[in-house]
Amino acid sequence: MEMVAEQPKSAFRGAEAVLNLPPTSSVSIAYHSLFGPHDDLILLELYEKLLPYVLHHRVTLRGQPDEDAVLCTMSKTYTVKFVGTSNSVLLIPPSDQLVLGGNTQDCDEKDRVKKLVAPVIKVAPGVMELVEVAPRIDRLKMLLSENPYRSDDALMSEELDEMGKNNTRFYSWSDLIDRNYMDGILNMLLHNLVLNDWSLNGLNEIEVVGVLQSDGFPCEIAQHCLQVYGSKTDDGVWKLDEKQIPEGMQASYDMLEGEVLTEKIGIETWVYAFDVSSLPSAPEERFSMLFRERPKWEWKDLQPYIRDLSAPGLSSEGLLLKYTRRTQPTPDAEPVFSAR
Amino acid sequence: MQIQVKCNCGEQNCPEWAIVELQGVIEPQPAFQDRLQNLEIGQLCRASSQTYTFTVGYHELTGSKVPLKKPLLVLKKIRHADEEKVELEVIGIIRQRILFKTRPKALISSKFNLILP
Repeated sequence: MEMVAEQPKSAFRGAEAVLNLPPTSSVSIAYHSLFGPHDDLILLELYEKLLPYVLHHRVTLRGQPDEDAVLCTMSKTYTVKFVGTSNSVLLIPPSDQLVLGGNTQDCDEKDRVKKLVAPVIKVAPGVMELVEVAPRIDRLKMLLSENPYRSDDALMSEELDEMGKNNTRFYSWSDLIDRNYMDGILNMLLHNLVLNDWSLNGLNEIEVVGVLQSDGFPCEIAQHCLQVYGSKTDDGVWKLDEKQIPEGMQASYDMLEGEVLTEKIGIETWVYAFDVSSLPSAPEERFSMLFRERPKWEWKDLQPYIRDLSAPGLSSEGLLLKYTRRTQPTPDAEPVFSAR
Repeated sequence: MQIQVKCNCGEQNCPEWAIVELQGVIEPQPAFQDRLQNLEIGQLCRASSQTYTFTVGYHELTGSKVPLKKPLLVLKKIRHADEEKVELEVIGIIRQRILFKTRPKALISSKFNLILP
């Protein structure tokens, strides 16, 4: 129970008595009137630069009860680990620390003013320490994959049916579908264009819509995509209008970096899907998967699959050094990376 | 599960706590085990500008005030009775400690014994 005790804010008690102790003076160290285990009091060691973030409420602790907690700022993640000590760490609060509640010692007014006392509220068994780590995206991915965009699609098609029935057109397609989503479909269309070797000028509507539907887009939206970014040249045939396509997006093979791998079998080149986003985000596991897929990699093939990796304190060269073995048959040949 | 870390003190006003750290364990004599509250442990004396002594029972320790390389925050876990929510509130900061690392010097007997590791 908290009691607000009327006492002068003096340098005669608490932490101030210890921290401001003048030479040749002494202070009595005693157990606080509320001394105890106080398991709800925790000491957290912080990097100085994190201090403003914590003090301005920009920090959270996250984790499942069975895992280590992590401390998160907007941009960084740290694991939190308890480090015990065999020393006796006597924790002394400041004199006006009212959060702990309780009252002063029972003593005379005279004594209280004269006697310098620093009360120990708790003997700390240790300290929580922070170690910076790469963010745990795998868990986020797992959570997201549990509830994919399906339900929104269902909702969307219900809305479409309703609109059709009532024959009302309150909103146009451009209002209903947001920009990012349209960019997403266009991207998918361009990907498929390259993958299937379609012609920019002679897109088969049925084929395009079919492929986009199998990628999860509703039929009406796929058709809308053709209408926005292309023009009809013939019945069922569309041409993509380069002027409509946003700057920076082009149908080139480079777009598929990190999503497909090619393999030369005889004189033919085969393309197969190998998506970086389905690979683990932790470096050790990532390299393990990559080398399981292919024992040897050239840099140009490997780079799209490791450029998103981050490990604190390690550059991409550092990652290569740590997790791969580099060989170069001749000085002119391309270096090849394999498992350590 | 997510725990918000709160602070009501503001950057300049975080109350500073103190730590007195020594090796070993302070053990009261059996008669005093159950009523530690308000009991004096010892006397902390600043002998000179750099040296501190801490006298516990018949042991005298010598140490100094050392700034911490990384500040420590004192957090209080608050569990709301009505909700499942747990919060952590910053109630203090520690930037220095009075650290005693030396073997104690024996003086005369008193209420306390110092059990050394």
